[in-house]
Amino acid sequence: MIRRRGGRTAMNLVGIAVALVMAFPVYWMASTALKPSGDILSTTPHVLPFPLTLEHFHTAVTRPFFLDYLRNSLVVVLAAVALSILTAAPAALAVARMRWRGRRAYLLLIILAQTAPLEALLIPAFLVLRDAGLLNRLPALVLTYFMVTLPFTIWTLRGFVAAIPVELEEAAMTDGCTRLGAYRRVVFPLLAPGLVATSVFAFITAWNEFMFALVIMQEQDKLTLPVWLATFRTAFGTDWGGTMAASTLFTLPVLVFFLIVQRRLVAGLSAGAVKG
Amino acid sequence: MRPVTTTSQAAPVPAPVTTPPGRGPAGPVPAPPGGGRRRGGWLPYALVAPSVLALLVLLGWPVVRDVAISFQRLGLAELVQRRTVWIGLENYREVLTDPFFWTVVVRTVLFTVVNVALTMALGLAVALLLAAVSRGVQIGLSVALVLAWAVPPISATVIFQWLFDTQFGIVNQVLTGLGLDFADHSWFATGVSTFGVITALVVWQAIPLVALSLFASMTSVSTELYEAAAMDGAGPWRRFTAVTWPAVRPMALVLTFLSVIWDFKVFTQVYGIRQGGPNRETVTMALYAYQKGIGSREFGTAAAISVIMMLMLTAGLAWYARMMVRSAEEEQ
Repeated sequence: MIRRRGGRTAMNLVGIAVALVMAFPVYWMASTALKPSGDILSTTPHVLPFPLTLEHFHTAVTRPFFLDYLRNSLVVVLAAVALSILTAAPAALAVARMRWRGRRAYLLLIILAQTAPLEALLIPAFLVLRDAGLLNRLPALVLTYFMVTLPFTIWTLRGFVAAIPVELEEAAMTDGCTRLGAYRRVVFPLLAPGLVATSVFAFITAWNEFMFALVIMQEQDKLTLPVWLATFRTAFGTDWGGTMAASTLFTLPVLVFFLIVQRRLVAGLSAGAVKG
Repeated sequence: MRPVTTTSQAAPVPAPVTTPPGRGPAGPVPAPPGGGRRRGGWLPYALVAPSVLALLVLLGWPVVRDVAISFQRLGLAELVQRRTVWIGLENYREVLTDPFFWTVVVRTVLFTVVNVALTMALGLAVALLLAAVSRGVQIGLSVALVLAWAVPPISATVIFQWLFDTQFGIVNQVLTGLGLDFADHSWFATGVSTFGVITALVVWQAIPLVALSLFASMTSVSTELYEAAAMDGAGPWRRFTAVTWPAVRPMALVLTFLSVIWDFKVFTQVYGIRQGGPNRETVTMALYAYQKGIGSREFGTAAAISVIMMLMLTAGLAWYARMMVRSAEEEQ
């Protein structure tokens, strides 16, 4: 027993050390963003951001075009997520609840689309959008992010629908609901949390996307936030405070969303384990 | 996530392959009352039609275009004049006889092997650690993992540039503080060292998904199995190989596979750190296609590289897709 307790303490110490290492880069970003420049460009590290300052955040948001980039990112991402959910929800219903010829092939198509190496489609996507006269226009990115998020949105929603016990619909139909009525009144309300979690994940994916935005949007006022962030350092020289403030601003919404939905999403994906 | 999927490392967790079937293997798949197959047989097709159309147009068409372009000469001149010049296998011949292409292929494969091995080994170690620590530490460690997982890759890239900054980076300061000669050491002077930073960055963000998923499958093992093993005199290593590993193996396989895909085609982190520098020494396949196409406007050659990339990933993809479809079928 004593040996085991000693082992547990050692394990706890290792666990704490690993947690600190894993969290450190995030901490260092926020800490740098909040420190006065003198403490950042110093040969001895200042571990705690004291005294605090918000000057770097001010620098970041008053950079030219910041509001344009924020608007571009929000418009593109929200439009793509809306399109994705509207297209995916009916498909998820069909896949999880109905039997039809070609269902298996459809599932295969979704999985292939989800794992498709989008990095290999950069060149043709650029040329197709160029032919369509869509370069440097927001709809180009909306369509791209719709394509990027659709497969896993369908796949994830399928899991959430499958987790809703069929018996509930059957009961509703016994009570005189039509089939579509049962979907609308029983399945949809139960699916709402799944829809939120899936939308949030699609949002994060599109919000983070860098490669297509880099190639498709090249005019100065048409960039999205990730591309702005990547070019920030070049524009700023060694203003690490400003860079980290920009990075914090960009990261914060994702962290908040992620912490909220992470558990639910993992639960939804292991769907089917729900007992009826 | 990613993905997810997806393109991003923040892709959601894949559905576990071992998901218990919802209503037992013996039970027939419940045909919805009202008879989905008899009446309204068109309904499912109407429901999936928009998504099929979207995928064919937005995903299928670029793939077709990519293959077509790989057989054309398409530079800036042809692009502006909207001319189509078919040149057969010329692009492939050019790519496959270019020694730099083979350097890039070998480099990309090596990068993938090293990153996947590190990700899986460290991820498994952290999963075992999660199982071994007390409740409070477990929660703290999980939160730290989710934090590292959630950071957008482009932010992570910027953060790592700052951590490894030559003059004021904390890494150099700490190493110097430990008595090592790292004052003003440049991490980005050579390709190998730059790859070291990229690997640290990629693995740091990939560990959480692996650790949390493996830990989740470990917790599904009943404690009685461990107790029985311990009673039979099995030491910690034997308990791991005989009880833990068989339970996590299917999940570990899926995660290994996903990591191979993600690391093989990684773009954001490699581009973000040094755009393939110094001296093109960290150019990987995804970056090479980008530089040929968007950089040098040799779209035909770039398309050929993309096709080769897709072919290299296809074999593995087929295996993975079959496994995922099977697990989805079981859930119904």
